[in-house]
Amino acid sequence: MSPAPAPRPPGFSRRTLLAGVAGVSGMVLLAACTGDDGGDGAAPTPEEADRLAEQLGVQEGVVAAYAAAAAADPALGDRVAVQSGQATEQLDRLRAAAPGATSSAPAQADGPPPGDDVQAWLRDRIGAAADAHESACADQVGGRAALLGSVAAGLRGQVTVLA
Amino acid sequence: MADDDGSGQGDPAAEELALGGVLEAEHAAVWGYGVVGAALPPDARLQAVLAENAHRDVRDRLAALLDERGVDAGPAEAAYALPFPVLSPVDAAALAATLESGVSAAWVALLDDAVDGEIRRLAARELGAAEVRAVDWRSAAGQTPTTTPFPGLPPA
Repeated sequence: MSPAPAPRPPGFSRRTLLAGVAGVSGMVLLAACTGDDGGDGAAPTPEEADRLAEQLGVQEGVVAAYAAAAAADPALGDRVAVQSGQATEQLDRLRAAAPGATSSAPAQADGPPPGDDVQAWLRDRIGAAADAHESACADQVGGRAALLGSVAAGLRGQVTVLA
Repeated sequence: MADDDGSGQGDPAAEELALGGVLEAEHAAVWGYGVVGAALPPDARLQAVLAENAHRDVRDRLAALLDERGVDAGPAEAAYALPFPVLSPVDAAALAATLESGVSAAWVALLDDAVDGEIRRLAARELGAAEVRAVDWRSAAGQTPTTTPFPGLPPA
C-alpha cells in the first residue's frame, strides 16, 4: 500500500568523481608543502642531492632552449610563451626543493642549427629533459620524487603542444 | 620486499594505500570514459576509446599488483556521480580532462609515498601519459592554457 522508499537512482553512488581527486590532492599538499616526514622530511642522501642538482641543470637547459628557440623563430616564441613561462616556474620550484644546490651541468647555451626546424629542435630538447626528470624521479623519495615526476609529466604535455 | 633505493625510510603500508588510491581513480576513469564516449560524435570517439583502454590496462595491472601483495583492494563503484552535466562534445572533453587530472593527482600521491623504485617508475610513466591525454582534451574543451607545469601537484 504505502510506497516503498524511493530507490536511489539506479547505479549512482553518492561518491563523485571529484571527491577522490580532492582527497589525494589534500594528501599531497601535506607532503609537498610542509615537508612532512613521510620520506621527504629527511634530508636527501648525497646521491639524491647530486641527482637533484643535475636535474636543476636539465631544467635550466629547458628554459635556455625556449629562449634560444624564441630568438631563432619569434613567431614560435610567441606561440609557446605560456609553456616557456611554465618551464621557468618548474625551474623555480625545483630550486626551492634543492636549497643550496647549484647545477653541476652548465645550461645549454647552443641554439638550433641555422636552417633547422626550430620547433622540432625545441621539442627534442624538452622531450629529452622529460626523460631525464622521469628517470631521476625513480631515484628520489617523497616530495622530491613527486615534484620530479610532475615536472617530467608537465614537459611531456609541452612536447604534445609542439608536435 | 626490497626497498631498492636503499633509503629504508619508506612505509610499505603508505605505498599500498596510495596504490589503492590510484586504483580507485582508474576505476573512476574507466567508468567516466564511457560517459565521454557516449557524448562524442562517432567519428570523434576513437580518442576516448584509446584512453579508456589505457586506463583499463593500468587498472588491471594495479589490481593484480595489490592482489600479489595480499591487499584487499576495493571494487569499482557501480557508477559515479558526474561533476557536471555532460551534454555536448565540449562537456565530454572537459570531463575527460577532469578524469585525467584525477588520476594524475593519485599518481603524484603515490610518488610521494612509494618505497619501491619500480613503483615510482610506473607512476612517473603513467603520470606523463595522463598529462599528454589531458593536454589534448583541454584543447578539445577550449581550455587555456592546455599545458600545466605541475600535473597532479597542488599549488605551492
